[in-house]
Order: sequence, then C-alpha cells, then structure tokens
Amino acid sequence: MLYEIGAPPAERSSPIVVVESLVKRFGSFAALNDINLTVAKGEKIVLCGPSGSGKSTLIRCINHIEKHDGGRIVIDGIELTDRMADINSVRCEVGMVFQSFNLFPHLSVVENCMLAPMKVRGLSRPEAHDRAIGLLRKVRIHDQANKYPAHLSGGQQQRVAIARALCMQPKIMLFDEPTSALDPEMVKEVLETMVELAREGMTMVCVTHEMGFAREVADRVVFMDRGSIVEEGDPDTFFSAPRTERAKSFLSQIVH
Amino acid sequence: MNSLDFSIILQAWPYLWSGLLFSLALTAVASIIGLILGTCFALVQHFEVPVVSQIVRGYIAVMRSIPLILVLFWFFFLVPIVLGHLSGNGRPIPIGATYTAFITFGLFEAAYYSEIIRVGLRAVNKGQFEACQALSLSTFDTYRNVILPQVFRVASPIILSQTIILFQDTSLVYVLSLTDLLGAASKLAQLNGRLVEMYLAVAVVYLVISSAASQFVASLRKRYALAGVHR
Ligand SMILES: Nc1ncnc2c1ncn2[C@@H]1O[C@H](COP(=O)(O)OP(=O)(O)OP(=O)(O)O)[C@@H](O)[C@H]1O
Ligand SMILES: [Mg+2]
Repeated sequence: MLYEIGAPPAERSSPIVVVESLVKRFGSFAALNDINLTVAKGEKIVLCGPSGSGKSTLIRCINHIEKHDGGRIVIDGIELTDRMADINSVRCEVGMVFQSFNLFPHLSVVENCMLAPMKVRGLSRPEAHDRAIGLLRKVRIHDQANKYPAHLSGGQQQRVAIARALCMQPKIMLFDEPTSALDPEMVKEVLETMVELAREGMTMVCVTHEMGFAREVADRVVFMDRGSIVEEGDPDTFFSAPRTERAKSFLSQIVH
Repeated sequence: MNSLDFSIILQAWPYLWSGLLFSLALTAVASIIGLILGTCFALVQHFEVPVVSQIVRGYIAVMRSIPLILVLFWFFFLVPIVLGHLSGNGRPIPIGATYTAFITFGLFEAAYYSEIIRVGLRAVNKGQFEACQALSLSTFDTYRNVILPQVFRVASPIILSQTIILFQDTSLVYVLSLTDLLGAASKLAQLNGRLVEMYLAVAVVYLVISSAASQFVASLRKRYALAGVHR
C-alpha cells in the first residue's frame, strides 16, 4: 500500500453510522435479520454477498428508502424514526448512487446537480451552479455539463450521479453496485472516481463485487448471506482466507 | 346545381374568421382548465386520497361515458338552478352561454386529460422517486420538478391529440346558440345557399389546423424520444 486512506485514527474512532439489531421484512419474509454494523467516520466498507442476501435492502434502510421494522439506525447522532424531520436531516447527510444511475432525464447534467442543493439546501442558482461545475470537474465531466443524460455513456452518467450526490455535501456515500450496469470498458472510470473520493476521506459503504476496488480502498469487507452478516474482516484476509464456508463458496463463484 | 363560386368565401371570411377565433379560444381555455384540473384529479388518484379519489374516479367515469353534447345541455340548464338554490332565493341564476361553454368543455376535458396524466404518472420509473428521496427533495419538489415535467413530456403527444379532438368538438356549441367555425359556415350557407363552397372552406381550415397540430405532435415525439424521456 502506497498511501494512507481516510482520516487520522483519532477521528476514525467516532461512529457515524450505527445499525443495531436491524430487522426488515417484506411480508413474512425477513430480508434483514438482526444486522449490527458500525461505520466509523472516514471508514470505507465493502458489502458483498450472493444475490438476494439483503445488501441493497441494508443500504436502502440506511437512508430510509426502505423503512425498517425493528432495531435502530443512528446516523451522525440522529436516530431514524418515522419523523419526517429526522428522515430529511439524515438523507441530507447521506448521498446515494444507484446501479441504474437514476439521473433526471429531462434536466441537463448541470441541472441534475443543481436541483437538490437549491430546493433542499437553499442555495441560490449561481451558488448551486458553481458547486455543480466544481464537482463535475472533479469527476472530469464538466465539459458535458449542458448535455442531457441520454447523450452520455453509462460511465459518464454514473459519474454525473456521483457528482449529483456530492453536491449535497453528504458525510456518507452509499453505493449500490455502481458499476454492475456498465459495459466493462466503463467500469474503470467510475471506480477511479470512487477511489479518489475514498482518498479524500469520505465515509463510504459500497455494495460491489469489484475485488480490486475492495482490496485497494476497503477498510473492512462485510459479507452477507440470507439477510445476515456472516463474516467481516479486512479485505486481504477476507479474500485470501475466508473463514466461513458460505464466504468460501461465494468467493469461488465470483472469481470464476 | 350551378358552378362553384369561391369568391363567396372571401366575402364570408370575416364571419368565418370570428367563428374560428371562438373555436380556438374555446379550445385554449378549455384545455388550460382541463390540464390544471386533470392534473389535480390524477394526483388525487395517484396519492389515493381517501374519499376524494373515489369521488374523482366517479366523476371521470361519468364524464367519459356520456356525450359532450349532453353535458353541455345539463350544465346550461341545471347549473343556473343549482346556483339559484345555493344563493337561497331559489330563482335560477343564468351563467350565460359563453361561460357555460368554457367551463363545461374544461370540466369535460379534465376527465380525459386526467386519465392520460394518471397513466403517465404510473409509467415514471421507480428509480426517479428513489433518487428524489435520496436527495431529500420534498414530495412537492419531487412532483413539481422531477415527476410531472417528465409526465408532461411523455404525455404531451397524447394530450395534444386529445386537444385536436377537442378543437373539432367545439362545433357542438351550436346547442348553446354560440357560433364557432362550423356554425358560422352553416349559417352563411343557409343564407347564401352556397353549401358546397362553405363546407369545403371549413373542411380545409379544419384540415390545415389539425394536420399542423399533428405534425407538431410527431415532432414532439421524435424530440423526446431523442432526449430519452420515453421509456
Ligand atoms: N420491495 C420488495 N418486496 C418484496 N421483497 C423484496 C423487496 N425488495 C427486496 N426483496 C427481497 O429481499 C431480499 C433481499 O433483496 P436485496 O435486493 O436487498 O438483495 P441484494 O443482496 O441486493 O441482491 P442483488 O445482489 O441481487 O442486488 C431478496 O430476497 C428480495 O427478493
Ligand atoms: Mg442489490
């Protein structure tokens, strides 16, 4: 490893995400079963596991796109309850990047990035514009600022989606398989953007099966299966010497 | 039958023109009323507002199952009586043929537009709502800035087609003794006996306006298809 990732250890110790005994059901089916997870400030977590194991559900609960049925979720000191004020203040701190980008097709790239800062953070149009251009520059797509999403490649769209989330100046970024809808040649540009973000000290929870990315930036790999966290550890140990049978069989599948 | 004389159309033109203007004004006003109300109706159903959404659904079902001409009659005769009762003295309060036409057409169109918009709302990708949630946008801002603009873009060709039908239907105002384009032509035709010329002339006007609008619809479809708003 050539560089130290993230914030200094002192700051790291304070948790920014605390998930306790989390339960999420769809009807009678328990998609999440007693999940406990603590994320420190600046920490980067990679979530992996077989399809249907509840990875998406977990990170969707963290910004309350899914409402949890039991347990507690505390984000930066605010507990997620049914109160809309709490939900909104948590969502302001949590940026999310989706597998399918979910850009607003009727707005240009820069307008996509300006909307929420203006409506939610109360920025003026010029302020929002400056911030948007700044972050689009950071994801190296500012020269496309006035195009519409449909005119960009998948990789470019996903970088816009990252910039759009960053425009809200979140403290945590959630990624749900950000590269799995992309053509192979575009995966790299998105991963590079994410690595850069990680180096700047952003707290990140990423659902991804990109092992290279996990090895490079993750502080911890969390392996889920059937709605539970089965194993967690640092990436090198997890990938080279998984302890549980389920992790072993999962890894043997994604390597091939 | 004597030979066709199209100079008669030039003479008749000012009167036809005033009829055309009425048709266009009625179409414009009714479609604005219809769009505003129709959007509200669609949202009420989309949010499944208790009681109100059932009432709205009933209203739409009724409006869509009876002919416009009947609605016009009812509105013209019934509303003054209802207003009279509401005002307390029981005497009918006439609202005038023109207002009746504008309001009735607007109310009638609302039922059709709201169905178009309701379908459009359902067609918006779930991911759009989730992106708005993740960005902490309020429900109002979500609909105002993200969802409805997409619905209107996707639905605008169908909305415009519906508006072309509305434009043709304006001729029904003859039952209120109002004169639209077709009404003007038929009155003149009775006066001067030049039925063929008159009806040919209005047919051409309808054709030109409707096909220009259809052309516009086609270009909209193409534009939004390119911008990727359609899914
Ligand atoms: N809205 C829903 N209604 C019913 N069941 C759901 C819903 N969303 C998810 N599930 C179920 O919950 C389980 C966990 O789903 P989830 O999407 O979190 O899995 P995942 O780990 O993200 O899988 P993948 O790798 O395929 O994305 C699955 O069995 C899924 O079928
Ligand atoms: Mg998933």
